[in-house]
Amino acid sequence: MELYINQYSYISPKHTHPTVTTAGEGLTPLYRAIGIDYPKFFKMDNLAKLGFLAAELLLQQNKRNLNTRKDIATICFNRSSSLDTDRLYQTTINPENNYPSPSLFVYTLPNILTAEIAIRNKFTGETSTYITPSLNPETIVRTVRQTLNNTNGNTAITGWTEYADDTHEAFMMLINKQHNSNTTTPFTPEQVNKLIIHLRKQTNNK
Amino acid sequence: MNELIQELKLEIINVLNLEDVTPADINDDAPLFGDGLGLDSIDALELIVLMEKNYGIKLADPAQGREIFKSIRIMAEYIQSNRTK
Repeated sequence: MELYINQYSYISPKHTHPTVTTAGEGLTPLYRAIGIDYPKFFKMDNLAKLGFLAAELLLQQNKRNLNTRKDIATICFNRSSSLDTDRLYQTTINPENNYPSPSLFVYTLPNILTAEIAIRNKFTGETSTYITPSLNPETIVRTVRQTLNNTNGNTAITGWTEYADDTHEAFMMLINKQHNSNTTTPFTPEQVNKLIIHLRKQTNNK
Repeated sequence: MNELIQELKLEIINVLNLEDVTPADINDDAPLFGDGLGLDSIDALELIVLMEKNYGIKLADPAQGREIFKSIRIMAEYIQSNRTK
C-alpha cells in the first residue's frame, strides 16, 4: 500500500507561525493568530491544546477535501504522556486542600488529545496515542500503516505531540493513499526522518 | 446578594476557563447550562467542587445541581441560605 505525506505542520517555542511564537506566553497567542472561534480550546490541557493547534494548522488548507470523508484516523505519539496535567491534578488532591478537579482529571490520559481533534473535525476513524521514548519515524510509519490496513482507511493525521517541563514540540502530518497535485513525498521512515531533521534545523537557526 | 452574584460570576469564569466571557456577559437569570453559557457535565462537577471549596456546601446528591445551577441568581440564593463559610 502506497502512502503519501500530503501536508505537515510544526510547532515549537521558536518556530510556529509568521507573526507569533509559542515561547513564554504559551499556546493562546497562536490560537488567536490562527483566527479560530472554538471556546472549548480554553478548557483543554496544554497537551490537547498543542495537538489541536497542530491539527488546525495542518487542516486549514485541506478542510474542504476532508469534509467529504469522515473515516479519518488520528494517531499521535509522545514521550511524556499526560504528565504535565497529571502533576497539576496531583496538586488538587493533597491532604491539606483536598478538592480533586474534575476538569483536570479528564485530561490525565494522553489519548484525550486525539479525541479533541476528532471531535473538532467530526472524524469518526481510529483515535490512539502511543507513548514512545523518542520520535521514532519507523514506529510512526508502521503504526499508521497497520491502522489504515486494519480499518480499510484512506487517510490519517499523525505525528509527534510532546508537552513537558514548559517546552513543547508538535509535528503533524496528513497521510493519504493518494498524493495531491503539489507533493509526492512518500510516507516512509526515511522521508519522515528527513522532514523532522529539516524542521528542527530550521528552528535552531532562528 | 448583588455582591455575591458578582463574586460568583468571576469565580465561574476563572474556574471554568471561560476565557472570552466577562461578568457582564452572564445574565443573572439566564440558564447556565444548555443555551446560556453552554456549560457541560464536567463543568457541573467543577461547580459542585466550587460550592464545597469556597462556601462549605456539600451536595450529597449531584442531581440537586440541576435545580441549584439553573441560573446565577438561583445559585447565589442557595449559597446565601446554606453557606458554612
